[in-house]
Amino acid sequence: MAEEMTYAEAIGRALADAMREDDSTVLLGQDVAAGFPFGATGGLAQEFGEQRVRNTPISEAATMGCAIGAAMMGVRAVVEVDFAGFALLGMDQLVNNAAKLRYMSGGQLRVPLTVRLGQGPLGAFAAQHSQSQHAWLASVPGLAVCTPSDVADAYELTRWALRQADPVVVAEDMRLYRTKGQLAEAAALPPGVPRPRVVRAGSGATVLAFGHGTRLALQAAEDLARTGVELEVIDLRMLAPLDVRTIGEMAGHTGRVLCLGDDPLVGGITATLAAVVQERSEPGALRAPVARLGARHVPTPFGLAEEAWVYPSVQSIAAAVRVLVAWPEYASEAEAEIEQGEFAMAVV
Amino acid sequence: MRTAEERYARMTLIRHFEQAAYRAYERNELEGTIHASIGQEAVAVGVAAGLDAGDTMLSHHRGHGHALAKGVDPKRLMAELMGRAGGVCGGRGGSMHIADVASGFLGSLAVVGSSIPLAVGVALAARRRGENSVCVVFFGDGGVNQGVLYESMNLAAIWQLGVLFVCENNAYAITTKAEEVTAGEGLVGRARAFGLTAELVDGQDVEEVGEVTRRLAQGAREGIPAVLECRTYRYLGHSRADPPHGRYRTREELERWQRRDPLDVLAWRAGLDARTRARLDEQARTEVVQAVEWARASPRPSTAELARNVWGDG
Repeated sequence: MAEEMTYAEAIGRALADAMREDDSTVLLGQDVAAGFPFGATGGLAQEFGEQRVRNTPISEAATMGCAIGAAMMGVRAVVEVDFAGFALLGMDQLVNNAAKLRYMSGGQLRVPLTVRLGQGPLGAFAAQHSQSQHAWLASVPGLAVCTPSDVADAYELTRWALRQADPVVVAEDMRLYRTKGQLAEAAALPPGVPRPRVVRAGSGATVLAFGHGTRLALQAAEDLARTGVELEVIDLRMLAPLDVRTIGEMAGHTGRVLCLGDDPLVGGITATLAAVVQERSEPGALRAPVARLGARHVPTPFGLAEEAWVYPSVQSIAAAVRVLVAWPEYASEAEAEIEQGEFAMAVV
Repeated sequence: MRTAEERYARMTLIRHFEQAAYRAYERNELEGTIHASIGQEAVAVGVAAGLDAGDTMLSHHRGHGHALAKGVDPKRLMAELMGRAGGVCGGRGGSMHIADVASGFLGSLAVVGSSIPLAVGVALAARRRGENSVCVVFFGDGGVNQGVLYESMNLAAIWQLGVLFVCENNAYAITTKAEEVTAGEGLVGRARAFGLTAELVDGQDVEEVGEVTRRLAQGAREGIPAVLECRTYRYLGHSRADPPHGRYRTREELERWQRRDPLDVLAWRAGLDARTRARLDEQARTEVVQAVEWARASPRPSTAELARNVWGDG
């Protein structure tokens, strides 16, 4: 029997199930006992006690380091970082210690740490509370990064993260916390690293998306379908390790590929995705240059309308797809809809 | 290390080891850089002597002495310094990143202060298992001004964890004099403000370091984390690139510290005669010569090995 719940509740359910299954699981973070601000950990302190659901002082570096030290010694540690901007205070610990201890110790140490990171813009929280660290973290050897896009995946990827022997960052898009969906009765987790998934099949063009982008791409697909364009939407789910072989295979389905991210085109994850599509798709499979749609290269401005100007939207995704589908003809009307700076398409 | 003779033996082992490592570096057998702890042996051995078998240790970039004091095999430590497959970390960490979990030496980490919060977590894990072991973390006078130290003291205090924070105050953070960059009365006063037990000791006297460590560790077992500041001195420069004296410290200052050499202090306190000292010295020298030979014979890690232990099954 499927149950309706929010994305935040699905994460909470995954944490609770993992804590029941494994006594060593301990949550650390600011206000985790109260479940503030997004509610994912609400009620866990009542069930598991404050020894396992530990409120921390506002000390991100010590909290991250403490979780790593505990994880090294067999505790399954989960650190909640409400806003990705705050993770920067714990970044030395995450990047220099969590990611490297296993390697530097020649495999003597393992760090089964899960870091839950609230990413993306939330709606008028301005630049420090509205940022995404996924591309940066995905580039660090020793870290895995997953990006659940809906309720079912929030549950599955969180459960998966909590079974790994090495550090995993769960990049949770804050725009998704209150979205609803169905969570089916827990099935056994498939073995191995979660793989990209075709969440909507189509023949006109392919969008490679993750997190909130997957949700937007599905909405854009509905709009495009009304004009006769069937969009295939692939939810990547994991940004590290990146399943380059599957991405290469999937890109060939339509041969017209849009890489969608909510970080800047320079240095953002779409740069890597576009390169992977070029390098890994079958020769001749691509029928148009790979296109990319990302965020503008500005700190997120404060107001809602101004924030929206920075990030990809249903409209800009649909316009980008129309440009891609029209190739090699010009789709000047569609091009006019997407402003330069957030959209790029190589011309060969 | 129950007897003074054993403590003397370990201290002289550290000294010979550091000298041999330094010479190996000069012969290009060691790559990168090296941070020798000659002059600071009494801190490493005193602290280790004050611990129980189940206690653990974390260290910093100048950590060879701590590792040897905790019982790491000198052969495998030297091989690690040489980047060999037989090293404690398979040659992946080198001089600044040493771990030997089986010995309770959980790791030396090279970003100043970054091993400190790990000790809080190690102590938390021990409590979760129902143990009252203590985790010692070493840092220097340079680490005293890292914010994460105070975050970690606070966390250890509010959660009543078995952490012993040991500051090896060797007076200089590379070339910077500690007192010029450290406000207030120093670490002991800062630690007491957090509700920790804190003591300042003569770091050249292994017996004093050991006695105070034992007392502070006992308190930490009972839920009162502690700080131990040891006044000591490194005889060599910060690293290979830094001369022992002449730039930021005088020859006279160095010689003043060398007149209170920790080996002499212990020999005097414990009444070790010249013959005993010579015998222990020779044993240590031989052990280090064997360690260097063993390390040289160990191969470098294979390329296949270099790609392993990154993340997941690989």
